Amino acid sequence: MSPKHPGCATIEADLVATATGEAASEAAQRVHAHVERCGSCREDLGRYRAIEGMVGRMRATVSDDRDARERLIARLGDLGRRRLTYGVFPSPLGPLLIGRTADGVSLVQYLGPEGDLRHSLLGRRPDVDAIEDSLAVEGFYRELLEYLDGRRDHLEWPLDLRLARSDFHRGVLRATAAIPYGAVCSYAGIACEIGKPTASRAVAQALRWNPLPIVVPCHRVVGSSGALVGYAGEKVDLKRRLLALEGAMPPEGTRIPRGAMYVTMPREHCYCLPTCTWIPTADHPHRFLFFGSRQRAEAAGLTPCEDCRPDLHPLAS
Amino acid sequence: MGPETFETVVAAHHPEIHRYLRRMTARPSEADDLSQETFLRAYRAFRALPDDANVRAWLFAIATNLFRNHVRSEKRRSTLHAAVLATRSESAGHGPEGETVYRETRTLIEGVVAALPFKQRTAFVLRKIHDLDYETIARTLDCSADSARANVFQALRKIRHGLNGHAIEGMRASEKELTP
Repeated sequence: MSPKHPGCATIEADLVATATGEAASEAAQRVHAHVERCGSCREDLGRYRAIEGMVGRMRATVSDDRDARERLIARLGDLGRRRLTYGVFPSPLGPLLIGRTADGVSLVQYLGPEGDLRHSLLGRRPDVDAIEDSLAVEGFYRELLEYLDGRRDHLEWPLDLRLARSDFHRGVLRATAAIPYGAVCSYAGIACEIGKPTASRAVAQALRWNPLPIVVPCHRVVGSSGALVGYAGEKVDLKRRLLALEGAMPPEGTRIPRGAMYVTMPREHCYCLPTCTWIPTADHPHRFLFFGSRQRAEAAGLTPCEDCRPDLHPLAS
Repeated sequence: MGPETFETVVAAHHPEIHRYLRRMTARPSEADDLSQETFLRAYRAFRALPDDANVRAWLFAIATNLFRNHVRSEKRRSTLHAAVLATRSESAGHGPEGETVYRETRTLIEGVVAALPFKQRTAFVLRKIHDLDYETIARTLDCSADSARANVFQALRKIRHGLNGHAIEGMRASEKELTP
């Protein structure tokens, strides 16, 4: 190839642009004026146009991506089932992580003062594909704040218990989820509910690993003596705050004042004074549910007992 | 935005991204893997993508980055230049005379394109085959629009020179190949 004339070299970029239809009209005019006079550049312009035409035809090439696409869609389906979107939010109880899958809310976690994710369940579960997306869980967060603020007494969320450690744990969590706002029951009571009356220690372990604290209200499960026992590891203080918030105990208390609370049993329709005649002779006293106030008992759908009439003789609050 | 929305993204863009990677890589399996990886990454980041984002340009950028990393790791094994063969086999088959000439020229062009430096080759394919604008190509390659334009220009120059210098020899060689 012979070296280009300097004028031809400077116009080459415009010439290519003209051939590919990308040149501004001024540049195109310059090129046309140049090729009028310069045969080799005229030829070049023709070649570039021919190349442009060739390349245009190459665009039409199809490659069959069907198999690849089907594999991809299968992978995405699998990922979708494992996906957990989460957000980390400030709360009166410290930073909280809220996570959900396509099936429902699956994780609520106290993160400690620094909001540290390192100890989160997220990194430890290969069956979960965690993605931060606060917007996806913000609605839950707002309801949770209302709850912590005492403006909401129920969280009717779809729940996904996949992060529980076993089916036994899931059974415990389901039974616990049925304890109404403002009530407490004992570990032994939950053990009876799931048909394993001797398993109260295992129940306590299951609740210790509750992936959905607050939502699955494990704070409402206490010792048979009324002692708070434990909460989410070392966080008994949070348990006290939640129970005080719900009116099940005084904020400064150290145990549930069972003797000064309204009493009922699972699936009963009425609530009683602790002095009602049937109570000393009950077959399963550990199954008692206790309410701190009539208001909470009635909000749970219970009516005053017609024998002891807690409506006429309310407990001193 | 739910998984359904991403499915429509796959339906709309997978064929093209796959074609792009098929053109850039040597083996079909590489294009399959890279396009899958592109969409898996996109899936993870999809929710954070603004509503008005150009999804197509975004996917090309992910695919290009993955391809670049792939080339870097592949380079040690240097299987790159087989790309020409791969694209040629796609258009193999007998046809009328004009078709044969077209195929030969095309093979030549693809040979030159496959030998281009990464930036020129990517800019050329994105501009000429996939019709992305220079702004988008610039973002994909992390350079200025002018630099993207200059890379396409350099690629076209090399193609032109490639056809100049090798056209006669190359065509003769492939004529021999094609005549029984």
